[in-house]
Amino acid sequence: MADSFEPKIVAFLCNWCAYTGADLAGTSRIQYPPNVRIIRLMCSGSVDSTYVLKPLLDGADGVLIGGCHPGDCHYQSGNYKARRRVVALKEILKSAGYDEDRVWLRWISASEGQLFAQTVTEMTNAIKEKGPNPMRQKWAV
Amino acid sequence: MRREPVGAVLVLGGGVSGMRAAVDLAEAGLRVYLVENRPWLGGRVAQLGYMFPTHDCVLCRGTSDHGYGCTRPSISPAFMDHNVHPNIEILTNTDLINLAGYAGDFTVTLRHRPTYVNAQRCINCGLCEGVCPVPLPSPFQVGMSARKAVYKMAPRALPDTYVVDKVPRCETCRRCETVCPTGAINLEEEEIERDLQVSAIILSLGYALSDPTEYEELGFGRFPNVIHSMQYERLASRSGPTEGVVMRPSDGKLPERIAWLQCVGSRDEKHPYCSSICCMYATKEAMLAKERTGNVHCQIFMMDERAFNKEFNAYYQQAQEEFGVEYTRCRISMVLEDPETHDLILRYPDEEGNFVEGRFDMVVLSVGALPPDGSRDLARLLGIELNPYGFCQTDKFAPLETSRPGIYVCGTFSSPKEIAETILDAAGAAGDVMRLLSDQVGERAFGREYPFLAEPGTLPPERDVDGEEPRIGVFVCRCYPSIAGIVDTDAVAEFAAGLPGVVHVETTDYACLEEGQALIKQTIEAQNLNRLVVAACSHRTHESLFQRIAREVGLNPYLVEVANIREHCAWSHMDDPRGATRTAKELVRLSVARAGLAEPVHRQAIEPTRGALVIGGGVSGMTAALNIADAGYDVMLVERQPGLGGNLQHIYYVVEGDNPQRLLRDLVNRVLGHQRIDVLTSSEVVSHEGSVGAFRSTVRTPGGEIPIEHGVTIVATGGQECRDEVYLLGQDERVVTSLDLEDIITHRPQQIENLKEVVFIQCVRPPGGVKYCSRTCCTNTMKNAARIKLLNPNCRVVVLYKDIITYGFREQYYTEARQRGVLFVRYDEEHMPQVRVDDEGELEVVAWEPSLKQEIVMHPGLLALSMAIQPSEGTERLAHILDVPLSSEGFFLESHLKMRPMDFAREGIFLCGMAHYPRFIEECITNAQAAAGRAITILATPKMYIGGVVSVVDQSKCVGCLTCVRTCPFDIPEVRYEDVGVGEIKGAAWIDPALCTGCGTCTGECPAKAIQLTAYRDDQILRLPLGAWGERVLS
Repeated sequence: MADSFEPKIVAFLCNWCAYTGADLAGTSRIQYPPNVRIIRLMCSGSVDSTYVLKPLLDGADGVLIGGCHPGDCHYQSGNYKARRRVVALKEILKSAGYDEDRVWLRWISASEGQLFAQTVTEMTNAIKEKGPNPMRQKWAV
Repeated sequence: MRREPVGAVLVLGGGVSGMRAAVDLAEAGLRVYLVENRPWLGGRVAQLGYMFPTHDCVLCRGTSDHGYGCTRPSISPAFMDHNVHPNIEILTNTDLINLAGYAGDFTVTLRHRPTYVNAQRCINCGLCEGVCPVPLPSPFQVGMSARKAVYKMAPRALPDTYVVDKVPRCETCRRCETVCPTGAINLEEEEIERDLQVSAIILSLGYALSDPTEYEELGFGRFPNVIHSMQYERLASRSGPTEGVVMRPSDGKLPERIAWLQCVGSRDEKHPYCSSICCMYATKEAMLAKERTGNVHCQIFMMDERAFNKEFNAYYQQAQEEFGVEYTRCRISMVLEDPETHDLILRYPDEEGNFVEGRFDMVVLSVGALPPDGSRDLARLLGIELNPYGFCQTDKFAPLETSRPGIYVCGTFSSPKEIAETILDAAGAAGDVMRLLSDQVGERAFGREYPFLAEPGTLPPERDVDGEEPRIGVFVCRCYPSIAGIVDTDAVAEFAAGLPGVVHVETTDYACLEEGQALIKQTIEAQNLNRLVVAACSHRTHESLFQRIAREVGLNPYLVEVANIREHCAWSHMDDPRGATRTAKELVRLSVARAGLAEPVHRQAIEPTRGALVIGGGVSGMTAALNIADAGYDVMLVERQPGLGGNLQHIYYVVEGDNPQRLLRDLVNRVLGHQRIDVLTSSEVVSHEGSVGAFRSTVRTPGGEIPIEHGVTIVATGGQECRDEVYLLGQDERVVTSLDLEDIITHRPQQIENLKEVVFIQCVRPPGGVKYCSRTCCTNTMKNAARIKLLNPNCRVVVLYKDIITYGFREQYYTEARQRGVLFVRYDEEHMPQVRVDDEGELEVVAWEPSLKQEIVMHPGLLALSMAIQPSEGTERLAHILDVPLSSEGFFLESHLKMRPMDFAREGIFLCGMAHYPRFIEECITNAQAAAGRAITILATPKMYIGGVVSVVDQSKCVGCLTCVRTCPFDIPEVRYEDVGVGEIKGAAWIDPALCTGCGTCTGECPAKAIQLTAYRDDQILRLPLGAWGERVLS
């Protein structure tokens, strides 16, 4: 069972940088494991804490948030707001006894297809090591 | 026979300036033919990974290295492949071969060289490239990697298509033709010639790089580790041949010591001008190296550091202080190589002036700018004059016009310049054309009602789907072999059919091709679908296309969802078809879930007030006002002083010899006589409200306050010479400023004739204040020094300077001043000049002579101080009234330093002249025309659309906590007392839909969940991840 564990990762990517970076990974045919489901948002700053919590409660094995590099945000400072929120959220997860390292925030620019692929690969491997989200057992999907 | 002018313009050159000019012209309702001689747009900037001083990744800022560009309303939205502005026709691989006629009625003949690929049918699958057996060096990567004969410039190019660079072998090989799944390749395609009638022509030809092999002593071409700066740019670019890792060409080692040699192909006998950009790009390249590998030693060998634009000096300081980039003042005359290690050896003086030898792993030659290739022949063909350097000749006071009426110039073809100034030129040239074609401006203008651009009146009425159960149609694009070669599209379709709300599923070969589009439209109608899901490629390239298709059969575009199963799935999981198919199913499930919750989105139409408010009546304000008025719109020009003219009133001569007082008279007369311009002098703007297209302001005049309504605002409040008390200024009448000196030379020249010595001190900045370069002072000193030498050849003239900043063609005046015997002595922070009155009452200036290493004492009869130029008084107050930001230097801060230098982030307010940063008259004129051109694009719009994907407050949930007010990156939300929040409390948040940019940051932060981003509502997003986990979640 553990060997065949395929993590399910939800990725919230901003329209301008991270989503476009993921596109570039594709157009450049850079390969990464098929464990990520990309959801496009306008800005990483709009990632509400519930967007992260709900998938985790529902059994996602990890949540990736991708935004523009600091200083590069299409909306000037949305990515800083995301960073602030994710830091706070991770603290809350930790205090609730939940493994906060299932939530990743990464800066990926439109030209960093390689970085996107690498990030997904690393995250998939890291989560494989952690094993399934404990919340998920109650689903038994 | 004389024909009526047509509202059409030819833009020649599809780099960043041509693209910018084309978009502005198109937005103003004129037709544009954008002609580029290479197969793709983007020009030089497309090769740059990063810009100075912002270090943005250029890619999302509107260039075509990566195609999409950023939809900041910069230059790119009209250049997304499936969303090209309907007024723009892009003609790549095309040359201009003949020109006849005159301004208003030109006939141009164009020759289109075949690319052998039909761009409309190319789906970028890359099969052709895979089978092509002919490798060639890639010009995009400056020869540092290979490409095939059939190739694309970069993974995303524009037009987004492959082309065949036909070589003799192609005739017999033809593998690409056979393998192309859509039949897009035709090796028999022939050259086409075409005549066009246009009323004006804009030349945006760009520049060529100077050839480093001309400087044999520097070793380029002989030593592998000597590269030129464009090669370095590619190596440092994430899309470069080494994916951003700078490696030594000889052995692939990471360099530990890199040297930059400045002025290769600039400021020498052969190229006696300054290329203006190299100082800054070398600084950027060194900083990038430091950022990537902290311990790399970066040393820049230069004569003067020319950091003469906004934020540049701070950047230069940062490079030295924070990054530890070393600057050495020395022009390296020879590079030697250690043949064993291929290390490079330079000889240069150290801080004490003793010659030392330095060993470097890599040497980068900062190559300068040359006139673009073929420009001499083209100039002959067009009948325009070139200047002695081979660049386009322009007049000082008409900087965007060539010598032939109706032909305009912008960007580096008129002089080497950086991106921001290129953009200003381009927008300015477009603005200039709008005044020539005032009768046609607005003819083909239309607003942006939808996320795609469509000609008005071409769409059927929208179908009302309110209250209908979702009837979702899913189209799975096979895009063979890109998608169906990896993903089991039939299985995806079968899976989709079982999803809730789905009533129809179909696979289609190529959804984006004409036949695929027709199929989707027919099916929407036949099946009475009210939601559409297309599982195909990226939102970023194709969403607007599918939205348009749906809208063409009456569906609101926001009822369309795209599932990206190509870039994000098939292409990324090519070796795992099962995993890819699973991912594709889940992506489709996400999109279906979201489509089921989608609602139509409508934008609100407003008609803009067709008038402009121009604040400031100097050269910039008057030029902007005239440009707008000439194009046919009313202008209110507000000037604080009793008379028009601003600083221009005190400028009596310029270094180029033109007469600024004549320009002043001409401008004032035309402004006062123009029937569309109202002038309010001794008046000030005291309030400014509203949003683009609908501003309301109050102007305080001597006769009372006047309310005015206007669609756009232009800020042209200028700058002023600092007059703080330094170096005895204001205490001793022999100490004067540069403007004072000009007054003396003009009105009391006899005073000069009796002088034995004049000393200039450059870069006089009040202590603790200004830290930037005021840009104009060095050239002004050259002009004044030359005048003094002319009036009194025996007078000794000494200039104490830090860096001589005579950029561009102004270098000749520095050369001329030296030839006339003006002496230049450099000083630095450790050796500041000292000024005092000695015992005999003489003025005494003491300076340190660095090459003699001793103090020199002068007793000038006149000491001229090049005082800093500061923002004019009241700038801060005006910024507050307009609610726009200021830069660290105190000047107004534009939306984006490079790509939008004339726009404020607050739409509809524009900036020009010295209110932006100190600049020369010709630069003020260009800048004013750019602001005017941008303003006209709004004034010419029949209807503006506001709202759409914006944040909306449900005030019944709002507690008025101010979180959104503090969170918004643009300060848009406000808590209004008159609005009522939760529990009937007074005061609730309100977000102006005309101003909201739709990022959704406030929605993520609102603790009461009272704010929702249209089309990205919480219920839509929270539903999405669930969709990916299993059947039971959806049930």
